[in-house]
Amino acid sequence: MLKTLSRAVSSAVRISTTSSTRVLHPLRTSALCSPNSGTVRPFTRSLWMMSDAGASSGYRPKLFRSKGPSPVSRGCVSLHTEGDKAFGDFLSDEMKEEKKLQKSKTLPQMSGGWALEQNGTEAKLIRTLSGEKVTVTFNVNNSVPPNFEEEAEQAQGQKSTESEPDIVSTPNFVVEVTKPAAKHSLVFDCHYPEDEVSHGEGEEESDIFSIREVSFQPEGDGEWKETAYTLNTDSLDWALYDHLMDFLADRGVDNTFADELIELSTAMEHHEYIKFLEDLSGFVKCN
Amino acid sequence: MGVVLRNLQNVVPLRRARLRKDVETLRHILGIQKFDLGVICVDNRKIQRINNIYRNKNMPTDVLSFPFYEELRPGKLPCPLYRDELNLGDIFLGVEYLMKQCQQQSQDLHGILTSVTAHGICHLLGYRHETEEEWKEMLQKESYILNEFNRFTGRQLVPLTKKCSQDG
Repeated sequence: MLKTLSRAVSSAVRISTTSSTRVLHPLRTSALCSPNSGTVRPFTRSLWMMSDAGASSGYRPKLFRSKGPSPVSRGCVSLHTEGDKAFGDFLSDEMKEEKKLQKSKTLPQMSGGWALEQNGTEAKLIRTLSGEKVTVTFNVNNSVPPNFEEEAEQAQGQKSTESEPDIVSTPNFVVEVTKPAAKHSLVFDCHYPEDEVSHGEGEEESDIFSIREVSFQPEGDGEWKETAYTLNTDSLDWALYDHLMDFLADRGVDNTFADELIELSTAMEHHEYIKFLEDLSGFVKCN
Repeated sequence: MGVVLRNLQNVVPLRRARLRKDVETLRHILGIQKFDLGVICVDNRKIQRINNIYRNKNMPTDVLSFPFYEELRPGKLPCPLYRDELNLGDIFLGVEYLMKQCQQQSQDLHGILTSVTAHGICHLLGYRHETEEEWKEMLQKESYILNEFNRFTGRQLVPLTKKCSQDG
């Protein structure tokens, strides 16, 4: 819904998992840690649970036994387990692979003279045309649709004969058109079709992108006006819809733009993913 | 329901509202307003693929029609019993192919699109051009449609049938 889009664009919905919850329990008894070890480190909840699960499989996570400053990170007083080491090694490999897959270190250019402003995962493309300002805002968070077909094949144990599918980012995007000296902007909430992301030779049946909602909003980054009428295109007269699409096309938001936006968003998302892996690796290793 | 218009390509800039308006005028002339119709604009790659799948011709073309009713007598409107069957079918417009044609012949793209759509609608209504007799009948129908269209709109569209003998 356009009403919550401004919030959605700027903050992704995150479902936190219990494994990321950090509640430290003091260590009472431990069959894992020799009483003669130099340090006794508290378990995280996830490790405690893992050790319970591990009991049946014979797996016991081991703590590094430091005899002084940790060789991994000098002066670091946080937890370092073998799991963390394995995790760090995995992340190193993952980063190497992802960097190999990265087509370019620089982001692809949009045609049509769009200026790009980036703030973390949110980006704005801005263009001025005969005094009119057009701003397209999108967020790469939660912009990669799941590939249900591949997941189903994997679930059934079928080996895909092809290599892993390319990750494609198809973010919702908001187009704001502001005329000179106007108090309001005309705002369009646009989406890519669901479940029909082109994988080359697929039978696409929908337009490359669609307008979902249209609304007038106060110009600038002010508060979203909840009381402004929002036109939903689900049951809109098709002629009016086509006029709205032509309106956007005249301002550079056409099928070419939509295709290039996918390229840009995909590159951005990949870049942010690699950066996240780097940060995660640093965090795990305490670098 | 009405005309489902889709633009699946980014090679040719299209005015959707203009195309829709022209198609609505054609529907009015033919008296087929109660029937749904699909008009899908595609590029050479896509229309070539469809041409290859359905006609074994691995090349782009200007228009491909997929009638909902496959055995209509030319010009006889279907009388469906159910609302779901108020459908004439889909017309795929090879807009990239047509754009090239327009550039070579210095013609207006949207005019050509409308003429080609009229041709496509005739196919959906059972007209064919595989024999001389069929070709004459279809040309006559197309000429009537476009003459009426030109009368309403002041434009000067001409039938596709006299130029084309390959589409289906």
